[in-house]
Amino acid sequence: MRRPGLCFGAGVVACIAVIAAAAPLVAPRDPYASGIDMLVPSSALHLLGTDDLGRDVLSRVIYGARASLAIGFGAALAAMVIGVPIGLVAGALRGRVDTVLAALIDLFIALPGLVLALIITVMVGANLRNLVLVLGFVMWPPIARLVRGQAMALREMLFVEAARATGGTPLWIIRRHIWPGVLPIVAAQFATSVAFAIFTSASLSFLGLGIPPPTPDWGGMVRAGYDYLAINPWMSLAPGAAVSLTVMGFYVMGRSFR
Amino acid sequence: MTMLRIGRRQTLAGLAGGMLVSRAGLAQTPILGGTLTVGLSNEAKTYDPIFSVQFTERYVLYLAFDTLVKYGPDFSIKPELAESWDTSADGKRIVFTLRQGVQFQDGTPFDAAAVKWNIDQRLDPKVNSPQRQVLAPIVASVDVIDPQHVAFNLVAPSPALFSLLGERVGFMVSPTAWQQRGDAFGSQPIGTGAFVLKEWTRGSRVVLERNPHYWQAGLPYLDRIVVQDLAGSVIGVQRLLTGEIDYVDQLTPADVLPIEKRAGIVLKPITVGRWYFLQWHVNKAPFDNPKLRQAFAHAIDRNRLNEITMRGQGTISDSPTPKGLWWYDPDLKSYPHDPALAKTLLAEAGFTNGFEYTLSTPQVTVFQQVNQLLQEQLGAIGIKLQLQPVAASEWYARVVSGTTNLTPTRWTQRADPDGLLYILFHSRGFANTMKYRNEKVDALLDQARTVYDVPTRKKLYAAAQQQIVDDLPMVPLIFGAEYAALRAPIQGFEWIPDEIPRFRDLWKSA
Repeated sequence: MRRPGLCFGAGVVACIAVIAAAAPLVAPRDPYASGIDMLVPSSALHLLGTDDLGRDVLSRVIYGARASLAIGFGAALAAMVIGVPIGLVAGALRGRVDTVLAALIDLFIALPGLVLALIITVMVGANLRNLVLVLGFVMWPPIARLVRGQAMALREMLFVEAARATGGTPLWIIRRHIWPGVLPIVAAQFATSVAFAIFTSASLSFLGLGIPPPTPDWGGMVRAGYDYLAINPWMSLAPGAAVSLTVMGFYVMGRSFR
Repeated sequence: MTMLRIGRRQTLAGLAGGMLVSRAGLAQTPILGGTLTVGLSNEAKTYDPIFSVQFTERYVLYLAFDTLVKYGPDFSIKPELAESWDTSADGKRIVFTLRQGVQFQDGTPFDAAAVKWNIDQRLDPKVNSPQRQVLAPIVASVDVIDPQHVAFNLVAPSPALFSLLGERVGFMVSPTAWQQRGDAFGSQPIGTGAFVLKEWTRGSRVVLERNPHYWQAGLPYLDRIVVQDLAGSVIGVQRLLTGEIDYVDQLTPADVLPIEKRAGIVLKPITVGRWYFLQWHVNKAPFDNPKLRQAFAHAIDRNRLNEITMRGQGTISDSPTPKGLWWYDPDLKSYPHDPALAKTLLAEAGFTNGFEYTLSTPQVTVFQQVNQLLQEQLGAIGIKLQLQPVAASEWYARVVSGTTNLTPTRWTQRADPDGLLYILFHSRGFANTMKYRNEKVDALLDQARTVYDVPTRKKLYAAAQQQIVDDLPMVPLIFGAEYAALRAPIQGFEWIPDEIPRFRDLWKSA
């Protein structure tokens, strides 16, 4: 066990991914089927009880992993697609291009992510695709900054200077020498971005800007359950715990990459 | 069904318990003094009755102001600032005899001239009161006969006038204070009411204090009423339990589960439910297709909607009117739940491969619940609905502008059938966002609003409602169940079917 953090983080993430993929096999009931036994606390029939429409909370938490992972991975990927090239170009080229891009990065970093996501989501409307794009857009600046810093450090390395001296084009140098050097950092940042996206999308859902019902979605479930904490607390606590566990898994994994 | 019956019985038992308590309460003499703290998600924008639009504004308006007539718990019309009235033989002139010795809170007298001024303001296009649209087609002019007598000259006989004079139109404003205070009147209103508005901190609280010169001897009992802003009814329940507030309402049957059996808390169920329905633009594709509308109507299981969203404590709706109001028609033919027939109708409507549409979903818990159930039920016959969340504050504007086509809606009942049926279903009704137009219905509603004889009106409204239900400009869903929760020392509370609580006559024991 050289890297217990990685094992733990990856283990948690793997478990959740398996549950999400095998949801129809794992979930005891149809997560969409309403019933007339509403807000029942934990019972043999419903391990985590039922929600306000009589649906099985456990099954909905299990299916909720799908939306959360889809948003997490999708948004992190979108953020990478925007942030990594900007960071690479800025760091590798320096000069006026860098000045402009760095200013842009600083500008966007100064905007609070959740608030920005909230405003854009209100404007474009909440659905899975929009949430992925909005969160990707909110998350790219820190990635770009990180990549830019690493690229700048690599740029000063002797082997890069040698490549430049022998007439390598900037694009070739980025691909050949700088990209491999920033890859570990990108991998680590990817995991943290997934965590951030899941957390932020849960926050958006809690504010009523998540994936529209009835799709099981952890943030939305926490919100819906909030009104009924005194009757069936699992309705909120279970999806809340699922968010925490997943976010923790990705963070721990990301940290151990560094 | 069995579960439903047990639910009802428990509720009835609970009710009986509540009655015993309040009967014991009535035997005691009301105690003077004390503060009543009301919790409310307050949307108030103004406390000037002439410009009032928001529902929750009337929680305070009924304290600071009196109306010309008032509603009984069965929506009957009772004297208030007007002691009695006489209707002319042709039904077009009504002379009100006003209560004598009544003063506004600023010391100016309440008399016939004040009544005329109040109605004139609402009728004056320059003032631009939102009440003009309901009042102008009814009232032509108002005459002062002498200080105690005022005559309303009507465009046509108008039984609905009395119900209007028991709500916004009927709140009597001090003309002197209104003219002096200008825009400030909305936050410093002056009426004849039992309580004087002392402080309004928007987003926080409204404080009202006893009017020592109130015209009704012995009233009010309470010294003070504080309306405290709440961020939702659930928070209200918690604050009720800690004793921070004495009263909270707009609670659903699920909201009251944690306090159902709590000692020291009394639950008061509303007597007539809010009407929930699913509406569309009846003249615009795709809902201009009657078979499609009928497919929706037969696919929806209203019993199940009631059992799940209202825990079986509401009633299903076949028409706009619930049992308990005189214009309810037990013989009305509606659309029984029949998924097989719905499927056939959907195919006959031309949607053999199913039908997809966006269902607008205001961010209000009950609407979210109703919509998810509608999606499930309609999905079963091949109607695929996408739920589109809309902020509660934006939603009605979207319905009015027509950007939202398919949406659930709800309306509270009015004291006169003309109140709701005309504004929703007459082609000139200002709340007819379905753009419904049927000349037969227009004629029936026009005729019914000019007849004083109740049996005749009853027949006309039965015919109009049957035609409306046949045409399906909307699908009736359910009549809701709702509760007010009070701390036990609060005595004298009684619901009026318009679901606006009247706090004036309450008192606090021990």
